[in-house]
Amino acid sequence: MSRFVDLAKNPLLISSVAILALLILGELVSPGFARGDQIVRLLTVSAILGIAAAGQNLVILGGREGIDLSIGAVISLGAVIAGNVMNGSDAAIPLAFAAACFAGFMIGTVNGLGVTYLRIPPLVMTLGMMGVIQGGLVVLSRGVPSGNAAPALMAFVNRSAFLGIPGILFVWAAIVVLMALMLKRTRFGWSIYAIGSNENAAILTGLPARRIRVLLYGLAGLFGGFTGVCVIGYTGNSFISVGDQYVLPSVIAVVIGGTSLAGGAGSYTGTALGAIALILLQSVLTTLNLEFWGRQVIFGGTLLLLMLLYGRQARLRV
Amino acid sequence: MQPILRACDISKSFGAVHALDKARLTVERGEIHALLGANGCGKSTLCKIIAGTVGLDAGEVLIDGQLAALGSPHLAEEQGVALFYQELSLVPQLSLGENIFLGREPRDRLGFTDRAAIQRQTEALIDRVAAVAGKGFTPDARVFDLSPDQRQLAEILKVLARKPKIIIFDEATATLDRRQVEVFFDILRVLKAEGVSSIFISHRMDEVFAIADRITVMRNGETVAEFAAAETDRYAVVYAMVGETGAIAASVRDHKPLEGDARLAVKDVRAARLGPVSFTAQRGEILGLGGLQGQGQKALLAGLFGAEPFQGGSVSLDGVDVTARRPADAMARRIAYVSGDRGRDSALPGRSILENTAIASLVRERRHVVPGAVFRERFTEVLAGLNTRYAGLDAPIGSLSGGNQQKVFISRWLSPAPGLLLLDDPTKGIDLGAKGDFYLLARKLADEGATVIIYSSEDSELLSLCDRVLVLNGGAITADLVGDRLTPFELTRASYGDAA
Amino acid sequence: MTGLNKLGGRTWVVTAAALIVLLVINAVLQPNFLEPSVVQSNLTTFLPLVLVAIGQTYVILGGDIDLSVGAIVALVNVVTVTVIAGLGGDGTAVVIGLVAGMGVGATCGLVNGLIIAGLRFQPIVTTFATSIVFSGLALWVLPQAGMPVPEPYWRTYAGSILGVPTVYVIYVVAFLIAAVLATRPFATRLKAVGGLRTAAFQTGLELGRLRVSAFMLSGLFGAFASLCLTGETASGDPLMGQTLAMSAISAVVLGGTALAGGVGGTLGSVLGAWVIGMIGSVIFFAGLPFEYQTLVQGLIILAALAGGVLVTRR
Repeated sequence: MSRFVDLAKNPLLISSVAILALLILGELVSPGFARGDQIVRLLTVSAILGIAAAGQNLVILGGREGIDLSIGAVISLGAVIAGNVMNGSDAAIPLAFAAACFAGFMIGTVNGLGVTYLRIPPLVMTLGMMGVIQGGLVVLSRGVPSGNAAPALMAFVNRSAFLGIPGILFVWAAIVVLMALMLKRTRFGWSIYAIGSNENAAILTGLPARRIRVLLYGLAGLFGGFTGVCVIGYTGNSFISVGDQYVLPSVIAVVIGGTSLAGGAGSYTGTALGAIALILLQSVLTTLNLEFWGRQVIFGGTLLLLMLLYGRQARLRV
Repeated sequence: MQPILRACDISKSFGAVHALDKARLTVERGEIHALLGANGCGKSTLCKIIAGTVGLDAGEVLIDGQLAALGSPHLAEEQGVALFYQELSLVPQLSLGENIFLGREPRDRLGFTDRAAIQRQTEALIDRVAAVAGKGFTPDARVFDLSPDQRQLAEILKVLARKPKIIIFDEATATLDRRQVEVFFDILRVLKAEGVSSIFISHRMDEVFAIADRITVMRNGETVAEFAAAETDRYAVVYAMVGETGAIAASVRDHKPLEGDARLAVKDVRAARLGPVSFTAQRGEILGLGGLQGQGQKALLAGLFGAEPFQGGSVSLDGVDVTARRPADAMARRIAYVSGDRGRDSALPGRSILENTAIASLVRERRHVVPGAVFRERFTEVLAGLNTRYAGLDAPIGSLSGGNQQKVFISRWLSPAPGLLLLDDPTKGIDLGAKGDFYLLARKLADEGATVIIYSSEDSELLSLCDRVLVLNGGAITADLVGDRLTPFELTRASYGDAA
Repeated sequence: MTGLNKLGGRTWVVTAAALIVLLVINAVLQPNFLEPSVVQSNLTTFLPLVLVAIGQTYVILGGDIDLSVGAIVALVNVVTVTVIAGLGGDGTAVVIGLVAGMGVGATCGLVNGLIIAGLRFQPIVTTFATSIVFSGLALWVLPQAGMPVPEPYWRTYAGSILGVPTVYVIYVVAFLIAAVLATRPFATRLKAVGGLRTAAFQTGLELGRLRVSAFMLSGLFGAFASLCLTGETASGDPLMGQTLAMSAISAVVLGGTALAGGVGGTLGSVLGAWVIGMIGSVIFFAGLPFEYQTLVQGLIILAALAGGVLVTRR
């Protein structure tokens, strides 16, 4: 019985069932929804969200109300940087990735320092950082879209690399595997769970909790920068608010995937499934002709509902 | 006349632990009543029941002859019982006056807070303690800016403002100095003259005899004796506290005396409320830290492990300086630390048993990759050696009982075996079987060459386990009990600052 | 450091000094800065932020945070304009619209408070989530900006009541509400809840009720701000007030209220809101290129947050 309950509460199972149900629903509403090329297209969109959510996943796992709301602005920044570095030239793609990831990493590190050493609540810190980056982007771009993606980058995101599957999906698969290995099989991964689960106990087993937390925010920024490059590969050119649409879904994907907002429990595999489920949900809602406001309300409501399942605060006692 | 308070046959269990077994307590009107007993005898639990913060399993409490309903602190307060909190109930950001009247603010006719009344009434209260109030103890001083002593006084004033019939002072004088204790006693006498009764828990025997009218002694959750203070002496009271047999019988341990040079040398270490303290310990020794709670034992252990680094002094182990700035330093020197506060200091809730035990090994062995198979084999063996009951290494830590959890946490430090094992009240709240396994383990590690330092809130644990006990009082070592002197009687006497 | 320590809890003094400096700079940059009409127009611009900051102060004093207030502003705006338009746009309709708007604000606050204090959710994520729901609902009520309010509404707002400019009347009323609340036991108890929740609990305070009240006040002041903004824009906009929550939090922190709760007050928040407004106008009149305005404002807010946290933490 308890085994059954455990299974029923398994986020991986819930997400998988949700994905299947949404596919069937989509196919019923609009035949062709679950066709092979359609699925690949949806997975590509999921991959971009999933990579962004990887960073979100890390800071949330690290606990202390960890969250990164600047991730959208970092994605925009990454896209703008990459677009300007590449300017349509294939040769500059590696440099574009490097520059965007580096910028993201530095911004994330500043977030981490503020959260860890100044003890600014993460949500406030990253929201403030979001404002700064957006302001910086206006200055950088003078409000005009600039730069564009190299053809090879666009092919990487949009065109088949092998068996009809674009390169970005292989990269995402690699990230899923690497994140799983990192979290399950390395000291760093175990440290993340430990500081998220009980920071004091983690420190008493010799872990440098503060440094780890700063690094987590740095990595979140890095993933944001990386996502930015993928986004410009998907759209072809960048505008300065291109990343905004990823902020909220990146948090929700993490939560759907079973990562506790209180930190210390969850997996990136779950987050990846969560990203797919979310994109499917979005797509089904669009197919159902649900308007933007309805999608917003459903998103917010989903987040609240999930909070009921995971991560409530302890009751006060005498 | 009716006694103001009569508690009859109060029983209370926490899980498998019987904290109280038909305990009794009778307090007369306008009386200062001392409640005494060794650590863990149940006196705090009894007080909490009377103050409504803990429910009772059986028995009844009569206040003024009326059966009292004590479901909550609020109800108890309405019936005239006020508990002086050992853990502060003041809000640091608010002023003294605001704190004293928090939740019962005097109001003017329009319903606004009557600040003038707060000012006036607070000043009146402060006047009663004016002699010891010290600088800056004014109604609008922020509690944050008050000294610890002044906060203690503020706490007393907060209780007094409620005009209770019975005030329970649980170790109210623990942090006061001699002069302040005198003032505190003056306050008690004023209350007594006003007809207010006090229940007074103290760990200083001379204080008890200086102020108390009557004394109730508890042992193992039972009320074992009642004295009129004027008609007894401190020896009789200490005998009652430790029990006839315990007082007379010498230590029943059969440990051979240790010989050889000291391998651990602690020199002049200091921390907030500790030291400077110096002592040495030998290979194979189990060294106990005794004394009343909060006398610096925990600070000493936390300092040795680098969790709260010492502010001065040095520590050397086998001739090597091991003064730790952070836990990782201590771990590199094979120093291990196990806390009794598992929820706060040890548990990684939601994580597997394997993670909970192997995490320290990753740090100590500087491994970046988890050797899953190696760890599984190693910790299966270690946990089996401790008679741990668990479903599997992948089960969450929360699925285990307290005792088995503690075995998991100590197993963090067992491979390789530690050179210095620091135990901070390690058996708190765990069952007897697990305690036994724990004692065996400590002895085995010591026999294999480790030095073990243990603080326990239960004197019996120190007596049965340790080769030697250092008694701490006010952050200093006040007695070094070994051999024939390591008896319940001596330990209790030394703890209560009554050393021969 | 002791100097800073002494200032803990009196950060608003620093803010007041900053305000004076900004006034001087503004007066130099804009020769007509001190003319009554310019003063009035500036105070009108700052009013919504002042109101939201006052409401936010209560939530933060209680140890929580309300990120949804921007969305509440939008929702109140669209509900108000829709109700007014639906009832024909006469005087009665305007009054009913105003009441409906305030009801919506208070209800949103109530929802926030009940979920957070009742279900023990984290305030930050909860108000983040409810803000999404509220702005979704705002888009449902009014999908696109538009739907003008009747002329008397904005005329009254821009005009005066009994010879006193309406904006000043609103300022006075808001200050009166804040002053009354500050002298009720409520204020002290709320600070206790935010200062040391366990101590407040031990003292027997009703934590839940206090926290819910704070969220309702935030919602209500959000509604006031929205109604003022509506007077300015004279129409409905479902995306109104998006940056208000963050600016208000910055204003509160600038005003010396600790983000951790327990210390501070509404007076400081008002000063903080004015400072943020003044910075905007200095940037504008200093001839800084338009592109730099967001960046400088963002940096100042981030610096204020970091500095405020440092000073008030001690």
